[in-house]
Amino acid sequence: MDYKYIEQLLDRYFEAETTLKEEQILTAFFEQDEEELPESLRQYRPLFAAMQQDDALGDNFDARLLQLTEEHIQVKAHTISMAERLRPLMRAAAVVAILLSLSTALNQSFKEERVWADESDYALKYESTVDEPAMAYDLLGGDTLKLDSLYKPTGYLE
Amino acid sequence: MKEISFRTDVLPLKNELFRLALRITLNRADAEDVVQETMLKVWNRRQQWEQIESIEAFCITICRNLALDRMKKADNQNASLDDEGYDAPDHSYSANPEEQAMQRDKVERVRMLINQLPEKQRTCMQLRDVEGKPYKEIASFLNMTEQQVKINIFRARQTIKEEYLKQEKYGL
Repeated sequence: MDYKYIEQLLDRYFEAETTLKEEQILTAFFEQDEEELPESLRQYRPLFAAMQQDDALGDNFDARLLQLTEEHIQVKAHTISMAERLRPLMRAAAVVAILLSLSTALNQSFKEERVWADESDYALKYESTVDEPAMAYDLLGGDTLKLDSLYKPTGYLE
Repeated sequence: MKEISFRTDVLPLKNELFRLALRITLNRADAEDVVQETMLKVWNRRQQWEQIESIEAFCITICRNLALDRMKKADNQNASLDDEGYDAPDHSYSANPEEQAMQRDKVERVRMLINQLPEKQRTCMQLRDVEGKPYKEIASFLNMTEQQVKINIFRARQTIKEEYLKQEKYGL
């Protein structure tokens, strides 16, 4: 079997000129049993075997880390909880304040309207339809008593 | 950019980070602490995840820095070389137990040689030869140029080959 290609790759590997793909080929090649490798290449096998590392952290590590990070979330939530706890109260207070000011404002405007309406009614009811006292006298059918009762304070018709 | 989730995007990086931290600290307990610290740091910066181009690169950079800090503090670079904390690969396919033991011994010797490399070479080799990362990515992880990464890997591979073959030849 011709191992020229592998030998070439190996030379380039030690020159740091191989691509990742070529390095994978070398790794796969040296994963073979030692007896299957040619004598000249056998010595390089441990160099590639040493790179196969399966050092790993167990599931305990994950559990510990997740617990630690979740605790961090809780701590963070706790630090902002005062502001958050007050927020609904502030909102309720704001709503009450708005309602109060609105009702006051509405009440005020209703009152004003009513006063104005009363005045106009009064004016309409008591507005004199006649301009001349003589006309008034005629309308009342010459009843001076009535006139007297109407205009007594001035005594104008006497 | 898709939304990043701690459970599905960060946590699965644990083993890659662990191997990198192990390659730098050369101690399993330290490496595990470094990975935990890395993940908590990443978690605490979750507000910035949206602006991060690659969460993997972000994690690797933090992990490496924390591992280097720990090394500096403990000053255990040489002391821990004798640490027997590594699992040898499974050679159960090899029939002969003596052969298995010899293979394991050779692989272990290569790993010891890797551990004696300067940190940059060691980290570059770890990311390329163990994790299979492209030069471009390694360069961004380690804040180097692609050429610098290649030089580090070239030196690492040359040293390992020479030292290992020397040991084989002279039985050192």
